[in-house]
Amino acid sequence: MYDLFVIGAGPGGYEAAARAGKLGKKVALAEKQYMGGVCLNVGCIPTKTYLRSAKLMTDCREASAFAIDVSAPRLDLPALAARKDRVVGTLVKGVETLLKRSGVEVIRGHARLTSRNTVEVEGQPCQAANILIATGSRPAVPPVPGIDSASVVDSSSVFALKQIPGKLAIIGGGYIGLEFASFFAAAGSEVVVFEMLPQIASGCDRDIADRLHRELRRQGIAIRTSVKVTAIEKNVLHFTEAGGEKGRFEADSILNATGRQPVVEDLGLERAGVDFDRKGVRTSDRGKTNVPGVWACGDCTGRRLLAHAATREGIVAVNNMFGREDRLRYETIPSVIYTHPEVASVGWTEQELEAKGIPFKKSQVPMAYSGRFMIDNPQGTGLAKVLVGARYGEILGVHVLGDSSSEFIVAAAAMMEMELCASDVAGVVFPHPTVSEAMKEAILRAAE
Amino acid sequence: MATPVEMPKLGNTVEEAILVSWKKGKGDKVSNGEIIAEIETDKATFELPAPVDGTILELFVKEGDLVPVFTNVCAIGEPGESVESLRASGGDAPPAAGAEPPQAVQSAAVPPRQAAAPSSAVDESALSPRARRYLRQRSMEAPPVAGSGPGGRILEQDLIAYFAANPKVSSLARKHMEEGYEIRGAGSGINGMILARDLDAPGQKLPKIREIIARRMRDSLGSSAQYTLSASAEATGLLSLRARIKAAAGRAPDININEMVMFCTVRALIEMPELNAEFINGKIYRRAGINLGFACDTEKGLLVPVVHGCENLSIAEFAARVKELTRQTIDGTVSPDNLTGGTFTVTNLGNLGIESFTPILNVPQVAILGVDAIQLKPVRRGAGVEFVDFIGLSLTCDHQVIDGAPGARFLKLLREKIEQVESLAELNL
Repeated sequence: MYDLFVIGAGPGGYEAAARAGKLGKKVALAEKQYMGGVCLNVGCIPTKTYLRSAKLMTDCREASAFAIDVSAPRLDLPALAARKDRVVGTLVKGVETLLKRSGVEVIRGHARLTSRNTVEVEGQPCQAANILIATGSRPAVPPVPGIDSASVVDSSSVFALKQIPGKLAIIGGGYIGLEFASFFAAAGSEVVVFEMLPQIASGCDRDIADRLHRELRRQGIAIRTSVKVTAIEKNVLHFTEAGGEKGRFEADSILNATGRQPVVEDLGLERAGVDFDRKGVRTSDRGKTNVPGVWACGDCTGRRLLAHAATREGIVAVNNMFGREDRLRYETIPSVIYTHPEVASVGWTEQELEAKGIPFKKSQVPMAYSGRFMIDNPQGTGLAKVLVGARYGEILGVHVLGDSSSEFIVAAAAMMEMELCASDVAGVVFPHPTVSEAMKEAILRAAE
Repeated sequence: MATPVEMPKLGNTVEEAILVSWKKGKGDKVSNGEIIAEIETDKATFELPAPVDGTILELFVKEGDLVPVFTNVCAIGEPGESVESLRASGGDAPPAAGAEPPQAVQSAAVPPRQAAAPSSAVDESALSPRARRYLRQRSMEAPPVAGSGPGGRILEQDLIAYFAANPKVSSLARKHMEEGYEIRGAGSGINGMILARDLDAPGQKLPKIREIIARRMRDSLGSSAQYTLSASAEATGLLSLRARIKAAAGRAPDININEMVMFCTVRALIEMPELNAEFINGKIYRRAGINLGFACDTEKGLLVPVVHGCENLSIAEFAARVKELTRQTIDGTVSPDNLTGGTFTVTNLGNLGIESFTPILNVPQVAILGVDAIQLKPVRRGAGVEFVDFIGLSLTCDHQVIDGAPGARFLKLLREKIEQVESLAELNL
């Protein structure tokens, strides 16, 4: 009898298993494919490895601005894939070590619930007082004829490409599509992004999304919004524009980046009576499902679909299952788009506040306010946008467009977690010169 | 010489009034007759006009202060003039918010504490009364804080400073708490930090008039032995008289059914004066005149204007007076003297369809009549049954001085008056 049985070794599952193990609980973890999950193997980590090289390509091209003479750079894709594999390999070993040190028993194979406290892995039943479903998500497949053509790759299989495509069509202008657009454009592809909505980076504050759009276009990425992809024939993509005009685009490769789908099938959820649908397993902000003893975290809940959200959800579930009250505060979870330039955000967007009718004040500071940003980005532009409550000045949202914002957005998240008001931030010392000073300035201006 | 502005005496019985809000501030120019403040007695709200042209030099009272009549509330004059001689004397001005009361007496009993050595277990006796209240209101335990008061006593300001510096309460939550928000339970933030979402909105203070109504109602139930009798009177006469008045519109005074019932009540009280009385400090006072109060539903709450000397009024005069007082009461222009002095009260919920209720005595009066809706009742007439309109009557009496039988006799008498209303009214229609 286990205290906890975790299904899925992604950032939600393995962190939760390790935490429970460290609490002295008897824990098992089942994984059918990748230790570390999508994030480590075909998601966050591989894409960031690729994007790091892309950034270096860009830097080399712009090296003269830094007084360095560099000949035209050339990307060696197989060598990059090998580097990615080394990085992933090291991190996967780290996960395995963590689980081992925490006393977690790792079981390889497909796990299914057979009751509310029994899991079966490859025919072997395991009893558990608590079951944590952390099965993650997979790339969504839109109902477009020809989406299964050989020329179409998704965010996992794209890493198997042997060469940089000359022409790349990307279906979807969300964070996945945009990050790959950033990479392939830097690597030399002619990239066209097809987005169904009028705005790219859906969910992002509009001012930030519009600026990112302009910046990516300046880098040579073609972005077509309000466009619906209607069919794929071999390597030709057919689409309809908002006005009804039809068009076609011939590409060497087509990347399907239309989002991610929670993995909820073939898990025995129906048998255990767990409430779920194709949008995910329904959970409370404490990680509980409708069935006592069955918990869920991460992408399979369909809530935030971010690795760090999954980790926190898993920890919250473990805390609650072993008697420590905890809950998730979704509004303070930051998110990042690792394009060049990066977008980092936490909290509400201006559009969300308007829709909710929350009175707010806003401030916007160009990133060039920061000396360090000017040094780092001879051509770059960017924006720090801050939204605070009209009455008390509590920080409601911080949105930054500009490289290295992913590294300091956590400061804003911490401020929001502690419910600091904008004027309180005057007492927080930011190192100089850093890019984060632009964010501080935006917060202080919002306090005025 | 600056001109003082006094709290006016708003009626013979008014001794003090609340300055509800200032419409003008210090330094504002005002002209004679311009409204400078809103004041409220326990009866109604009034506006305070400036008596002269000039500049407001000083406000002597704060919004919400209860001010005795003829006390100077502000001074108007030319900038630079001295106003100190006009300031109300006496030390009964409310203390500044947040001021700690003198504690020399209390602290003498408290052993000196090492002010610099906060301990984790705080002795309750080391807390000043205000500090104790501060913690109690927030359901918080005393923190390990060094007191800055005499003998190391922990003052409210020590706690405010401690909680301001301590991450137990978030900055946003603290701002809310300064506005009266209260902690509901455990904090839901990191390490149990109290976040804004863990707070409840502050309770709303009752408006002055509601406070008075609440106190009157409590006093009424607490000081009397109330019982209610229900009966109904045939309403055929009321309806017929009303129909005739309507038909004679323009040529006859406008009298509605409620006014007719109140007029009948006056007639009944003339014959049974024991209900036209007040019971004060163990003594019964039979009142010679009939001053009939009637409950009036206003935006601010219940008010009871009084028709004085009803026994001398014809039904037309009576009805006109009721209408006039109703209008003034709803407008807020009624004189406080017309809200006092009642000897008997009538309250009507019949127009809202209420069939029977228990009116609460307007103490020290000894009886109150509730008027209910008109309803059809089956009545045996010979061998058959007819449906006849009846008006419900709910009479509450104070059993201390009115027993059940006299109460019932009064209702019987009133029923007769109502049924004879057409002849009582003495109208030529």
